[in-house]
Amino acid sequence: MAANPERTRPHVGSHVLLMILLVAFLFPVGWALLSAFKPADDIIRSPLTFDFGTFTFDNYTAMFQDVPIGQGFLNTAVVLLFKGAATMFLAPLAAFAFAKYQWIGKNLVFGAVLITLMLPTIVLIIPLLLEMKELGWVNTYQALILPGAVDAFAIFWMRQVISAVPDELLDAARVDGCGEFAIFWRVVVPVIRPGLAGLGVLTVMNIYNDFVWPVVAASSERMATLQVVLSTLAQNITGNRIGADYATVTGELLAASSVALVPLLVLFILLQRHFINGILAGSVKG
Amino acid sequence: MTALSAAPATRRAPRAGRGPRLRRRLAPYVFVLPFVAVFAAFSVYPLFFTARLSFTDWRGTGAATWVGWDNYTYLLTNPAFWASLGNSAVLWLLIVPVQMVLGILVAVLLNNAKLKLRGLYRVAFIVPFVTPLVAVAQIWVVLFDQRYGAVNAFLGLFGLPDTGWLTTSAWAKPTLALLFLWKTTGFIVIILLSGLQSINASIYEAADLDGASKTRQLWSITVPLLRRTIGFAVVLQTLAVFQMFAEPFVVTQGGPYNSTTTAGYYLYNHITRADLGTGAANSFLLVVLVMALSLLFVRLLRAKD
Repeated sequence: MAANPERTRPHVGSHVLLMILLVAFLFPVGWALLSAFKPADDIIRSPLTFDFGTFTFDNYTAMFQDVPIGQGFLNTAVVLLFKGAATMFLAPLAAFAFAKYQWIGKNLVFGAVLITLMLPTIVLIIPLLLEMKELGWVNTYQALILPGAVDAFAIFWMRQVISAVPDELLDAARVDGCGEFAIFWRVVVPVIRPGLAGLGVLTVMNIYNDFVWPVVAASSERMATLQVVLSTLAQNITGNRIGADYATVTGELLAASSVALVPLLVLFILLQRHFINGILAGSVKG
Repeated sequence: MTALSAAPATRRAPRAGRGPRLRRRLAPYVFVLPFVAVFAAFSVYPLFFTARLSFTDWRGTGAATWVGWDNYTYLLTNPAFWASLGNSAVLWLLIVPVQMVLGILVAVLLNNAKLKLRGLYRVAFIVPFVTPLVAVAQIWVVLFDQRYGAVNAFLGLFGLPDTGWLTTSAWAKPTLALLFLWKTTGFIVIILLSGLQSINASIYEAADLDGASKTRQLWSITVPLLRRTIGFAVVLQTLAVFQMFAEPFVVTQGGPYNSTTTAGYYLYNHITRADLGTGAANSFLLVVLVMALSLLFVRLLRAKD
């Protein structure tokens, strides 16, 4: 990202504003990550201090006993693997057909894609749920994976990316005897790798954080994804520990939230640039 | 079929054989088929289904009864429906104007190449956006707890009384708005930054020569030229605010006294009560509203061109 060459150094006031925001933006996450290592009683008795002398894993050990977070991670991992792979392979492949071929119905289908992009997702929740009931798919992996498996937005975005690949490159491959799929796999995919990386992080982020559809379609304990498990934490903890006091519940709650935060934070710190590209392109979605 | 099986022989001379050309004509259908199948089954079909469902009374089992426009008139004459829209509208007012002003300020500051720690700020401001909403919402519940929360503990240092951030209807909306602002402002900054980078620097140089102050330049150059990007951000956030669901679901369960029953949460209530016809009608009304608002903002921001 190249910045406009501003003529003057930034004012002290702007540093103060940015620093305040920096603290405000990092505080909730930082506070939760640290507090989860405090004795539960201290979290509520002195929420603003941290004493390294009392560092403890108690909240984590209690949480792993009371909350089916392992199952949540497993379910999310399964969905990530299958839904992610479907999006990453099938969306660019379909987008290739939209960008570089003439075929009957192309404009009609693409028009439908554009319309779904503009519709709020909630409009599909009820009929999709009924469809899952009809198919007997409520509380199954299929219900979590198939709807939205080839995201309309991914098609839209990848079509733009692939349109920029020069036709000469594809024709040259044809002259060399490449089949149509080989052109996609050996010519298009390597060229659009940066776009694919952006799509990858966006897809992982969306699937990992998805909540509305999983909570509606698969909220049973066996099928609950990580986010669904998190959403009912308090009930889970008090259900398993009758008479648990507020401090215990809070300690476990923070431990569970921390465990859920860390994977994406680490991924983000490692792949910042791709994240920002993905978020920018993803903002077209609405 | 013969053309296809003859293909390998003519591979090296595409013009001579018909195989590769036929394959080239068929290929797009094969490539697009998986997408079209999933799209038709889980997007197009449900959409038509909702449309029909919204004209019926159906509780999820048994036969659906056709009720014409009843679901729509029921909602449009129901104070609870309007209250849910009102709650979302108040949240919109608490969120979008604040977010745009803050977003523009921060984006302009971050766009300055001479700013120290620019990279750090940019990463820090995106952190909330990549954290899972449900996890953060849980943290919010703990932070804003009236008796034990860190927020009241901090305010107590200045002698301020404990406030029921999540338990009083006056504060529940601002507290949810703050969560939404915290979560998405970094994202808005990124969008605005990308808009800023398309503004030609020579405009500012000319303004400098004319002696225009920085504040003046912000209002007379940056904001007008960013109008399209700002409009885009406003439309995105309007869609998001009116669909807001996970925040009230986790943090307040729509309460206290329905003060955080947003349009999205009210829709979910129909599903939990298995009143699916009304829910379908409600989702269509929301779509119409959200589309109308988006068009309005696009118009407003284009009118000055």
